[in-house]
Amino acid sequence: MRDHIILYVNGQRRELRGATVFQSLSDYLRNDLRLTGTKVVCSEGDCGSCTVLLGCPRNGLVQYHSVCSCVQFVFQADGCHVVTIEGLGCDSDLDPVQAALVQHQGTQCGFCTPGIVMSIHALLESDPVLTEQRLRQGLVGNLCRCTGYEPIMRAGLQVDGSRTMRMNHLFNSPALLDELTLCRDQPVCLESAGKIFFKPSEIADAASFKAVHPDCVIVSGGTDLGVQANKGVREITTVLSTAALAELSELRIGDDEILAGANVSIAALESAATEALPEYAALLIRFGSPQIKNVATLGGNIANGSPIGDTMPALFVLNAEIELSGVKGSRRVNINDFYTGYKKTVAAADELISQVSIPRLGSGEILKLFKVSKRQDLDISTFSAAIWLKVSGRFIQDVRIAYGGVAPTIVRLPATEVYLKGRSISSETFESAREVALSEISPISDVRGSAEYRNMLAANVLRKLYYELNANQAQASTA
Amino acid sequence: MPLVGKDIPNDSAAGHVSGQSVFLNDVVPARNELLVDFLGSPVAHGRIKSVDLSAASVIPGVVALLTHRDIPGNNRFGSVMKDEHLLADETVEYVGDPIVLIVAETRAAIEAAKRSVLLDIEELPPIFSIDDALATGSFIGVQRVIERGNATTALATAERRLHGCLVTGGQDHFYFESQTAIAEPGEFGRMTVHSSTQHPTETQQVVAEILGVPFNHVIVICKRMGGAFGGKETQAAAPAAMAALAAAKTRRPCRIALSKDQDMCCTGKRHPFQSRWSVGFDESGRITALSLDLYANAGCACDVSPGILERAMLHSDNAYYIPNFRVTGRLCRTNLPSNTAFRGFGGPQGVANIENILEEIALHLCKDAVDVRQLNCYGIEERNITPYGQRVDNNTLPALFVQLRQSSEYDRRQQEIEKFNRASCTHVRGLSMTAVKFGISFTKKMLNQANALVNIYTDGSVMVSTGGTEMGQGLNTRLRQIVADELGVGFDAVIVAPTSTDKNNNTSPTAASTGTDLNGAAAVDACRKLRERLADFAAPLLANPQTGIPLSAGKLRFEDGVVSDSSSPERQITFQELVARAYEARINLGERGFYATQGIDYNRDTGKGTPFLYFTNGVAASEVEIDRFTGELKVRRVDVLIDAGQCINPGIDRGQLSGGFMQGLGWVTTEELKYSSRGELLSHSPTTYKIPNIGDLPEVFNLGFLVNPDNSVNLLRSKALGEPPLLLAISVWTAAKRAVSFVNPAAASRLSLPATGETLLLAMEQPQSKPAVAR
Repeated sequence: MRDHIILYVNGQRRELRGATVFQSLSDYLRNDLRLTGTKVVCSEGDCGSCTVLLGCPRNGLVQYHSVCSCVQFVFQADGCHVVTIEGLGCDSDLDPVQAALVQHQGTQCGFCTPGIVMSIHALLESDPVLTEQRLRQGLVGNLCRCTGYEPIMRAGLQVDGSRTMRMNHLFNSPALLDELTLCRDQPVCLESAGKIFFKPSEIADAASFKAVHPDCVIVSGGTDLGVQANKGVREITTVLSTAALAELSELRIGDDEILAGANVSIAALESAATEALPEYAALLIRFGSPQIKNVATLGGNIANGSPIGDTMPALFVLNAEIELSGVKGSRRVNINDFYTGYKKTVAAADELISQVSIPRLGSGEILKLFKVSKRQDLDISTFSAAIWLKVSGRFIQDVRIAYGGVAPTIVRLPATEVYLKGRSISSETFESAREVALSEISPISDVRGSAEYRNMLAANVLRKLYYELNANQAQASTA
Repeated sequence: MPLVGKDIPNDSAAGHVSGQSVFLNDVVPARNELLVDFLGSPVAHGRIKSVDLSAASVIPGVVALLTHRDIPGNNRFGSVMKDEHLLADETVEYVGDPIVLIVAETRAAIEAAKRSVLLDIEELPPIFSIDDALATGSFIGVQRVIERGNATTALATAERRLHGCLVTGGQDHFYFESQTAIAEPGEFGRMTVHSSTQHPTETQQVVAEILGVPFNHVIVICKRMGGAFGGKETQAAAPAAMAALAAAKTRRPCRIALSKDQDMCCTGKRHPFQSRWSVGFDESGRITALSLDLYANAGCACDVSPGILERAMLHSDNAYYIPNFRVTGRLCRTNLPSNTAFRGFGGPQGVANIENILEEIALHLCKDAVDVRQLNCYGIEERNITPYGQRVDNNTLPALFVQLRQSSEYDRRQQEIEKFNRASCTHVRGLSMTAVKFGISFTKKMLNQANALVNIYTDGSVMVSTGGTEMGQGLNTRLRQIVADELGVGFDAVIVAPTSTDKNNNTSPTAASTGTDLNGAAAVDACRKLRERLADFAAPLLANPQTGIPLSAGKLRFEDGVVSDSSSPERQITFQELVARAYEARINLGERGFYATQGIDYNRDTGKGTPFLYFTNGVAASEVEIDRFTGELKVRRVDVLIDAGQCINPGIDRGQLSGGFMQGLGWVTTEELKYSSRGELLSHSPTTYKIPNIGDLPEVFNLGFLVNPDNSVNLLRSKALGEPPLLLAISVWTAAKRAVSFVNPAAASRLSLPATGETLLLAMEQPQSKPAVAR
């Protein structure tokens, strides 16, 4: 088993052991390699200044996506190629992205700029045509306090993507590709000064490790753990990485369900859901920035169990099933039975989430998802809701409702569901349902919103649902 | 070809986009460098009974633990009143108030030391809000008044009256580069401090006073800042002094670089205001009297709050003539970090207030709000004197209103919105146009001065340095354009040196939008002296070879790297050759320029005078859509038209326009400072404190400049543009207010700022009652 990690940075091979492996990728780049073009502002993956490209071998090519290096641990880059702003070239020879930003005054103080350049490059990796829509979504995770974004948008729209180098051309190295391909699924075990990094390639090994180290932290996307480590909330000592568990990365779309391995990224899920479950895909667009969605996983979101996790309410009303794998094999649990309290679950000490089955919609079934946050994009929900309905004509045959942000866990609203079941889709029905819903929840006030506001949202979302179900009728009924 | 007027990219842009630009915390640490951090107070107000450092001092890697007792000079500082301490001695005044300076080899040692210091603090009752401060009489300084006519009598006799109270929130600067400084101890008690500061001179003075050394022992250098927006005008001094104190004590280089969370928790913000107002007006909507009482939450210390309050008062008229006017202002002392300068410097709070009042008048009279604004707008020939007695010269405001009303299709869209709002059950829209008339000059007369050093080297290359600092706003690019034009050389022949107190002494902060006005004018002064000397030297060199008659020095032109006379262009000399020969002839090729703004004066005791050299004017029309079920707000379209005089750099000016507007958009919509009941800031990182992101960029965003060549009083007929665009975003708030008024007029008149989704939904859902404001 490998006792060190291997990564490439701007085309250069690095073999790492010891404490350096457990620090954040941004600290490693800035302090160890003195690649200070990568900036750190928030240390929580929310501003994008630390954006770098991470290349992973796939189908005979290295595929690059953007990540926030402040919330990635160095060990997560094992088997990857990290490209920083310095990797793009020097200031005497600007590439088209850089040149457009210069020409259109897309940079003022310059602190956010390297991250913006990297995010635009990430967009170009997947498609050389930049549109306003793509830039709005692609740069949603890159805050800028100086320019007001308008010059950045203008610059982005002027970039001729066909003239921009792709990373596979810029770093055209068979040696790099071969080694990364080789490393990708290799197990790694590394110990240093009381810290352990274990990256098994078999689920059985993962389960055994977890049984022996019940306090270990399972790292998948690591975006939440990175924040906790940076802010001193949690020390990362014993790490179980799921990155080399190949079956956890599988994503299959069946006629009745989406089967997503626990390691499937939110970005990949969003892409799969675009056709298979469009309402879910639309919500995942607002889940977070590309940098986070590229690495954050569905399994991680479920394991984290946050009551404001955006992926969650939909899974509750769809009756998604979670596959838990342990030493003795695997079992499936309905997500509605998975949580026992705030961030507590039914998983046994040796079990980890291996797969999630998300049912697709049948005929007559409707899924409506709502997310309310202070800022429209890239913000944690103040309140979220998922409502699944089976309708026949004007009648609600069946309904399931889940709310996030009103309790320590995602909650279902059984009384409201009972009330709505069998009634007609009418203004009166939903106005009464508002009252029932309010009797079922007791949200708290916090930094994201007051209890009063959350109660209003919890009630109003049913009114909003009514209007969405009756978009046409609503227009006709107005005076 | 002149460079002034051209859209030349920010001169650091190539470095920024390639990651080569070096910010302070990118500097490679010296081998023996130490890290500095501080332990702050866990309580908002208290008396320190004891500080036990024994456990912390034995932690490996901890080099020094310093308290106020270790300060060799004066622990007290402050630019207006010396009422701030570097390290708390008797009392702590806010959560995070520094008590112990920790100097260590590693970050881990610092964190361990923070956990090991034992503090015994007796808690005292804290004050957080303006209301609490008013109830307990907790103020800073005296009440200020600006008055004209008799507002009381005019209000009593007005045809119509309204009154109300506008509450505006604070705002974090959210500069990307948090407060950072590196101090290097020198010989004989001297100290060099690299600081991310807008005000190297004040930083120099505070460091010297803390260290107890003369000012000339301290050099403060600032190459660039990763954003500042006012937050590094006075508040960069404390971190710099901490690094310097640590360096003086340990005799090793010391670095302090706050984390974003720590920076947000411990530094001052934009002042929250409460504005209690009464307005009298006639049936047409013309204001006859206005009475205002402004209260600002200054936090725990004075800082530059008096100037901020003063600017709020001086901008309470904004673009509108108010015959009978009385504004009073008071600063409330509370147990929060001392609030400080932030782009607009009180102006936004003053302007939001009068724009809110105009919107109220329009709603009350069922008139169009732009009609009401145009009716009250300052006139060209009459109704053109401000309440403080300054005449509004070169008044472009009426033209701006007319032009934008047309180009934004305001009237047609207003009708469409009425129709939409009647038809939609799910959304409501609002469209509003507001103005800005922003006074340019420091209201503290002393600060309106600048010096510049211009050095020409023997190869013809030029280096300029001023007290102005570069924070992304493009000062250095403009200085290069200005100096290159004055000397007739190319842009690349001129560079701007890092700002440093040993080259430029007694400088003013780069603030109040005046960076280019003051420092550019000083640089021009230096260049003209140099040019005069060089012309005198060149004239005989270019003498007619036949007649020996020299050219007239006064007629020599410096253009495109060549010095010549247009009447005999064949006789010329390159700039490079000229300076080389001038050096041989022992002519001084360095010059110091100076500029002091003329014709300004303001007496704050009488509230009268001419505080401003000129006004930068602008208008904006914003349209918003609000979800009636969630309160979520979307900006559909914004049209901005601004009078920037003649732009020195249109590209950079445009960036100030879009950047300032979006920063203002954050202030009026999503940026909300939330505190615990104990005075701890809860929204202290971007996860919880929401500045606009690219998704908030208006769907349509039209930025325009009014052509105005007539601002002859300022440098190259330009106008300052740093702050004014921020105030135009108030139109987004008034648009939201207008939208809410369609649903719930009474709640709309009580709407506070920022209009978050929560504020908007709560307003729309408030039980309907008849407006409480009429009397």
